[in-house]
Amino acid sequence: MMRRLAGSLLLLAAVAGCGSGASQENPGGKELEVLYRVDVTWPHLEKMLADAKKQYEAAHPGVTIKLTPVQGTPEAYYTKLALLNRSPGSAPDLYYHDTFQVNADVAAGKLAPLDEHLAAWPDWQTQFPDSVKQAARGGDGKIYGVPISTDTRGLWYHKEVFTKAGLPVPWEPKTWNDVLTAARTIKQRVPGVIPFSMYSTKIHGEATTMQGFEMLLYGTPGGTLYDDAQDKWVAGGKNFTDALSFVNTIYREELAPRQADAHNAKLADKMNFEWFPAGELGISLDGAWTAAAWKPTSTKPWPQWKDTIGWAAMPTQNGQEPGAVSMSGGWVMAMSTYTPHKKEAFDFIAVATNKENSLTYSVGTGDLAPRKDVAADPAYSADNPSVKFFTDLAAVTHYRPAYEAYPKVSAQIQEAMEAVTTGARTPEEATAAYARALPTAVGGADRVVAR
Amino acid sequence: MTVATARPPAATGAPPGGPSRRGVLRWLLPLAPSLVLLAIFLAGPILWSVYIAFTNETLTGSASVNSQFVGFANFIRLFGDPNFLNSFLLTFVFVIGSAVIGQNTLGLVIALLQRGRGRATRSVVNGVVIAAWVMPEIVAAACWFSFLAEDGTLNTVLGISQEWLYTAPMVAVILANIWRGTAFSMLVYSAALSEVPADLVEAAAVDGAGPVRRLVHITLPLIRRSIMANLMLITLQTLASFGLIYALTGGGPGTASQTTPLYMYEQAFRYFEIGYGSAIALVLLVIGALFSLVYLRLIKVEDA
Repeated sequence: MMRRLAGSLLLLAAVAGCGSGASQENPGGKELEVLYRVDVTWPHLEKMLADAKKQYEAAHPGVTIKLTPVQGTPEAYYTKLALLNRSPGSAPDLYYHDTFQVNADVAAGKLAPLDEHLAAWPDWQTQFPDSVKQAARGGDGKIYGVPISTDTRGLWYHKEVFTKAGLPVPWEPKTWNDVLTAARTIKQRVPGVIPFSMYSTKIHGEATTMQGFEMLLYGTPGGTLYDDAQDKWVAGGKNFTDALSFVNTIYREELAPRQADAHNAKLADKMNFEWFPAGELGISLDGAWTAAAWKPTSTKPWPQWKDTIGWAAMPTQNGQEPGAVSMSGGWVMAMSTYTPHKKEAFDFIAVATNKENSLTYSVGTGDLAPRKDVAADPAYSADNPSVKFFTDLAAVTHYRPAYEAYPKVSAQIQEAMEAVTTGARTPEEATAAYARALPTAVGGADRVVAR
Repeated sequence: MTVATARPPAATGAPPGGPSRRGVLRWLLPLAPSLVLLAIFLAGPILWSVYIAFTNETLTGSASVNSQFVGFANFIRLFGDPNFLNSFLLTFVFVIGSAVIGQNTLGLVIALLQRGRGRATRSVVNGVVIAAWVMPEIVAAACWFSFLAEDGTLNTVLGISQEWLYTAPMVAVILANIWRGTAFSMLVYSAALSEVPADLVEAAAVDGAGPVRRLVHITLPLIRRSIMANLMLITLQTLASFGLIYALTGGGPGTASQTTPLYMYEQAFRYFEIGYGSAIALVLLVIGALFSLVYLRLIKVEDA
């Protein structure tokens, strides 16, 4: 009996000890916890934040920055962040945040508005273009994050594969059909090469929605997920079916990677580290950051890419105005409502997104720079001739309807995309399933409009 | 306990309430810290998850701080959800295939074959089978992944190129789970078979019963309670199996191997619908309870 009692007490002591470990490292001082994502092939953010920590701690004695990494895909990061954010005790003070998640967190009161601090930060006025400032704007008009990155999307293609297939280089597709024709030609004339690759399965999460589906939908005439005039979500319609039909075509005609690869979480690494360098992939529909995989800052540099890889805008469905389409998103540094040290926390955001650190991030990740001074720095476009092209795509770009319900809508899109990828549903059936599921996702049939 | 009751009660003076109350306090008091901890860390979360199954609670967004009681809405949605029904069917296939048929039969066969073998043989076979069992789920999944992957061992040995995890995901996860879980059934049956009187089996042999008849008419009836207990345990284990499938196929491709625990995880932690996910968990619990009831009933029928 004594032994059991002792055991209980020991356990009690151990459990009681768990809660208070973190804050004891810096007695008397303040600690700010920063949550961020890292991956073996994606160390750039960690590098930038480690630099920022050093600079910040040197300038702010008494404040410690605690960097907490989340290893894995963006999807894994979203889950971890959402779980940590459930209680003030576990919520990080500052976090790297995808802009499409911002409004859901604003609605829950998890994010602190930054307007007051931004007003006193000269860089905000001078270095951030107005369009970029909107990246993390809440439904209430307040700003909830300072942009670390922004992006556009387009087509990447292998020039040697194109030459072998007898296709023109440089390639400038005008319609979806041009893209499909090029893919069909590659399949026919260059056996062993995957003609076209895109993200289209649930495992790729938001990439499937944005790089995949939305790049198609917003290229159809009037295609949109959200009807701004009526303030309602659009339930399917012909645009939706057409976008899915494109995906259906590339998989049914076997112009795409094999199913096992389409469902592989490491598809991006396969495309950029294996297939493109080996000349085994013709075209990919992907983000502006893709070239980062080949630059000297990459974990597997491929210097020949500048001569081998070309890039083109994703055309609209029938070549209708404005001729090309792109989607833009990005990540911000955001502050938790729960942090007791708001002033210190904002100071860290300002250090992390200063010119030097912002440059480190943009050069490493290949994301487009949100700051004017970074964009103008020669180091930013050095080793990356594609930067100007993708920056200019801002002229035709669209933003996601990043309302609170968007993440749930996105999940339904991924469902539809995967069903078409595997062939479990036809584009029509997948569109109908989306239309059925939409009211639940957005909180009622009155928030949906049929097309 | 025996040490405590052996003490003369008069030594500490008779408190009000009599010896029975003191007896309760004697075991309850030392247990109290554990009970409190269990209540906080086990009962608390269980009750909470039952409660949120009836709310629209989410992990992010306004419903995460301001969730509302929605009655049976989650359950109504659940039974009209084709993905849930699909996952339920796959769970059934997985439990029957890998536990009831696979682990159970293979465990029994290995236990039967081991009877009367030398110590060396038994040690080696036991060692190999149990090694698969003690291996962490993720490690087992990694082994099977490298075995079934396109450039994996199986394809290399067969000299073919086949995406097993894509073309036959359910077969892959069922095989992996049989491989991993057979040790448990084998141990249960080894113990049960050692209780079968050897003279009874010998007598049947003398009377002219062949090995199959001896198995069906002598051995199996004698170990029937172990069979039922084993079936119940492995069914419950397999019903809740998550890690192995998640690591091997992630429930895919599409939803081709998405059993109910994986569907529950996806809804709760991928799409942040924790209320809906808890409703699925609750239904899974009821299904587990139903299975147990059936098995318990069968045991009772056998006894009658």
